[in-house]
Amino acid sequence: MYVALFLFPWILMYAASTLVMNHRAFFTARYGTGPVPFENERELVYDGVFPEQADLKMISTQILTSFGLDGAHSVTRRNDGAIVINRNDLLTPRRLTYSPTDHTLRIERLQPRPNAFLERFHRRRGYTTGYRADTTWAVSVDLVLAAMMFWVLSGLWMWWEMKVTRLFGLVSLLGGAGLFAMYLLTL
Amino acid sequence: MTFAQFNRRLHLYLGLSLLPWSFMYAVSSVPFAHNQYFDALDAAKRLPLWALRSERTLDTGVPDDPDALRRFGARLLKDAGIENTSFGVYRQSPTQVNVYSYSFWKSTQLKYFIDQKRLTVEDRRFRWDHFLTGMHARGGFEQEGFLQLSWSVMVDAVCVGMLLWVASGLYMWWGLGGHRRWGLLAILSGMASFVLFTVLL
Repeated sequence: MYVALFLFPWILMYAASTLVMNHRAFFTARYGTGPVPFENERELVYDGVFPEQADLKMISTQILTSFGLDGAHSVTRRNDGAIVINRNDLLTPRRLTYSPTDHTLRIERLQPRPNAFLERFHRRRGYTTGYRADTTWAVSVDLVLAAMMFWVLSGLWMWWEMKVTRLFGLVSLLGGAGLFAMYLLTL
Repeated sequence: MTFAQFNRRLHLYLGLSLLPWSFMYAVSSVPFAHNQYFDALDAAKRLPLWALRSERTLDTGVPDDPDALRRFGARLLKDAGIENTSFGVYRQSPTQVNVYSYSFWKSTQLKYFIDQKRLTVEDRRFRWDHFLTGMHARGGFEQEGFLQLSWSVMVDAVCVGMLLWVASGLYMWWGLGGHRRWGLLAILSGMASFVLFTVLL
């Protein structure tokens, strides 16, 4: 019970985000097709100096840290030499484009949309970013999975212990299992 | 029947009837959360993911309109002997159209190379982790067919069920006087952690 009370915000988020993703057509009609557009936040000259042998990851981390934006991100170098950093911020994802030739830096952010925010939350997982907050989040996701499996098994046991609910419980269980099996065989 | 009794039964019977979905979403989240582990496991087998089933020449126009493109994809699938599956049609490039057909157990990909007037049909090797993640990700109301749409209705039902499960669970906890203090502590610490994650991630 206490684990369920602790984890209920996660369950609410996963339920709400699944509803949103299941009705993507509604949001497409509202916002249009294609990816969420970026909007310009600021443009400036970045006069930071990078170590001589700095790789892309070091450069991106330095730039992000300079603006207090350090966190999970990906980085690529475009054909024209510009360095593009996608900062996967949950609330406000940003794209930073740094041009080494003239040291200009453009910072753009994704237009805020509630459905996109929930979808980002739903898809956030994994242990590979190297950031403590992300690793801790991944642990919490694993905890939710383990808890859900435990609730299924403990729920079955608790139901079986209550003799008065066995018959209707069995009908519910078999009804759900039968429907699920039908989908498994046909879809 | 009192509201407390109704609430308890709702919590129980809802949980039991949606149990296969709850279990499936929990188990199938494991390969999502640890996809690198499963990919490495499969890569060690050194087997190709896609196997060519057939290849033939085809000279046909490709429509630009999304609805017509979908009908075009359905026709290609039908010609390949694939019907009544979920599918998507994508313009991979100006010279290539991909049709991806998906069922829980089998996935097939058709590639039409416009400039070469060539159509290939490839089957994807079965992988348990893909089977689970495919089931997890299935949803939406863009597909045709009663069964496909009814699965999406069930996805909605599971979501609403989870919301009701949370609400009825909170009501049941509040009714247990002896557990209020520790329960409140669990709720508040869970909410605080969640807000912290929202801000920090």
